[in-house]
Amino acid sequence: MTKTTHNTPHDDGHGHDMPDDYSPEGLAQIHPYAKPFLFLGKESVKRGFIWLPVAGLILVSVLGFFFPPKHPAPWDFGFSWAVIGFAAYTIVVLSAEPLFKLLARGEDYYGEGEAPKLELKGDSYE
Amino acid sequence: MSDFLTLGHINPGFIIILAGLLCAFVPSSQIRKALVLLAPIAAGVLIFKQFNAAEVIGGIWSVGPIELTTLRIDSLAIVWGYIFCLAGVLNAIFGFHEKCKLTDSSALVYMGAAVAAVFAGDLITLFVFWELTAISSVFLIWKGGEGSFAAGIRYLAYHVTSGVLLLAGAVIYGLSKGGDYSFDYIGLDAPGAWLILLGMGIKVGFPFLHNWIQDSYPKASVTGTVILSVFTTKLALYALARGFPGTEILIYIGAVMTCFPVFFAVIENDLRKVLAYSLNNQLGFMVCGIGIGTQLAMNGVAGQVVAHVIFKSLLFMSIGAVMHRVGTAKASELGGLFRSMPITAVFCMIGAGSIAAFPLLAGFVTKSMIISSAVDFAGHGGGPAMWVVVMMLLFASAGVMEHSGIKVPHFTFFAHDGGHRVKEAPWNMLVAMGLAAALCIFLASPLGGYQFLYSMMPYEVDYHPYTTDHVVFQLQLLFAAMFAFAFLKRKGVYPDERRAEILDFDWTHRKLGKSIAGWVNAMWARLAANTANVSDAFIAGTGRRMSQLFSPAGAFSAASPSGLPALLTAATLVFAIIIIFVAAA
Repeated sequence: MTKTTHNTPHDDGHGHDMPDDYSPEGLAQIHPYAKPFLFLGKESVKRGFIWLPVAGLILVSVLGFFFPPKHPAPWDFGFSWAVIGFAAYTIVVLSAEPLFKLLARGEDYYGEGEAPKLELKGDSYE
Repeated sequence: MSDFLTLGHINPGFIIILAGLLCAFVPSSQIRKALVLLAPIAAGVLIFKQFNAAEVIGGIWSVGPIELTTLRIDSLAIVWGYIFCLAGVLNAIFGFHEKCKLTDSSALVYMGAAVAAVFAGDLITLFVFWELTAISSVFLIWKGGEGSFAAGIRYLAYHVTSGVLLLAGAVIYGLSKGGDYSFDYIGLDAPGAWLILLGMGIKVGFPFLHNWIQDSYPKASVTGTVILSVFTTKLALYALARGFPGTEILIYIGAVMTCFPVFFAVIENDLRKVLAYSLNNQLGFMVCGIGIGTQLAMNGVAGQVVAHVIFKSLLFMSIGAVMHRVGTAKASELGGLFRSMPITAVFCMIGAGSIAAFPLLAGFVTKSMIISSAVDFAGHGGGPAMWVVVMMLLFASAGVMEHSGIKVPHFTFFAHDGGHRVKEAPWNMLVAMGLAAALCIFLASPLGGYQFLYSMMPYEVDYHPYTTDHVVFQLQLLFAAMFAFAFLKRKGVYPDERRAEILDFDWTHRKLGKSIAGWVNAMWARLAANTANVSDAFIAGTGRRMSQLFSPAGAFSAASPSGLPALLTAATLVFAIIIIFVAAA
């Protein structure tokens, strides 16, 4: 079964039309081992990914009350490391924009050329 | 007595260095590749034969008044010796496709120097191989092509400075001990210790001294980056663990090292640079462990070195394989590569899971020892500052999850489809990555794997990583970080990858210092020109005046009344008499 949405080309983010993963042309370019996992590229799967950590987080947070740390820090409680993990990650990500504005410059800022761009080895999978 | 070349007492690093020197003259790439593969194996076998559960001292060599100990194998050094040899084998397999005499030769000499330095029994021998690691490895950077030459020069400047500081400190330290240069516990109270610590600090990437890592590693060749990521910083860690265990300042330096790279990694677009920041972050955990210095902490450091060499190599290899195929490591140009390189993607995720310390992967059984030792230390007299350190380590653990656990695999293999349809990595790269991935799993296995790793530790291990509370709380941290990533991504808050040069502390010498040097140079040139003008004018003026006085047409040659010379002579005589009178009085 082929969904119509899969048969339309999509933009690769660089202005090139890429054949759809599920079209014959697209499938020919996919590594055989990757074909069963093409669903990972679907937008719905990407959006639904959040439920995996949510489920895991709920489970281990509940377990945290039954198995408290043997050597607790003063701030430790049932799901303290979950709070720390979420807060730390969020702080890091939210700091990105102001830091980028402060520290980002043009790629040739130091005038030494870009990092090496290598010669391509193998253009397509056959 | 000189016994440093007898087989039982030969430093195993010498074998690898010799193989490296041979490589420089061997035209056949097959023979060179055999040497690159076999030399670390031979060195590993030699270490195994030489070590007998007690400290082995040998390779004594007298140079003038100084007695060098070129071989010392003990329970601390052997961990580094084995892992360096193992990494050498993995690197050899990974770089099997590369037919480059310079890479083969310099990689072997570099690796051999690192092994030799680890087994050095005195500070002078350590210095010699310390510098050799720098000089031999710079060729791996210069093989990176455009833009790598200047980075290589800066790399050399950092490392030669590090060596000079080490030597200066070693001489002061050795002389204060009556000419004994033995490399054992030094401590900060010893004369010259601060110089030695600073020298080691440069090589291990202390804050503000770390930029050579992010500057040079991403500019090296694909194979070169993988090789470089193993030896230099880990050698410096060994030196710190040998000379400064339990030095309190290292706790705070290490804690800062774990945290600041996280903020740079999140905005960096070049994934090899992200991994270089991640390297800094991981080194911070180990420096912190050395500062704590308890048996648990030192075991954690040794274990983390082993695990880190393997999973960090794996991550650099996977991004190197991508770069080999796609031609770039910029996150903004990658994405969706799981379609073309699924095996590499799986290996990369194993490396990412290991560095993030997921249960059943390598980092889990080692990093937790360092964090546990920090908690123990804080709870037993470490004070409030130590709790701040513990919090910083937890913050950094979530940070690792961000840049290495999620960002690197996500933007390379998933995210938006970058449109690259390339071949899977070459077979040799897959084999090397596969072995590293297998080790990441094996070393964390509760079925004998982590027990094997713990059996290599310098002290007896009384630590059980797979307790329910430890697994549960570690998973809380990791799941929460994953949830935060997915949530912030959904909300559109997670930053897109953008091409840019991110300024770091090296701005001070690459831009500010360069501008100041340029200004000083220009001012010097102007000063020199003005000085030359003034001096020319002075010389010309003096000459003209002398000519006016003494030339045949000058004033003194002109006819003058005879009374004037007589008057001048009389005045000179009076002046001389006054001087003599004053002097005599």
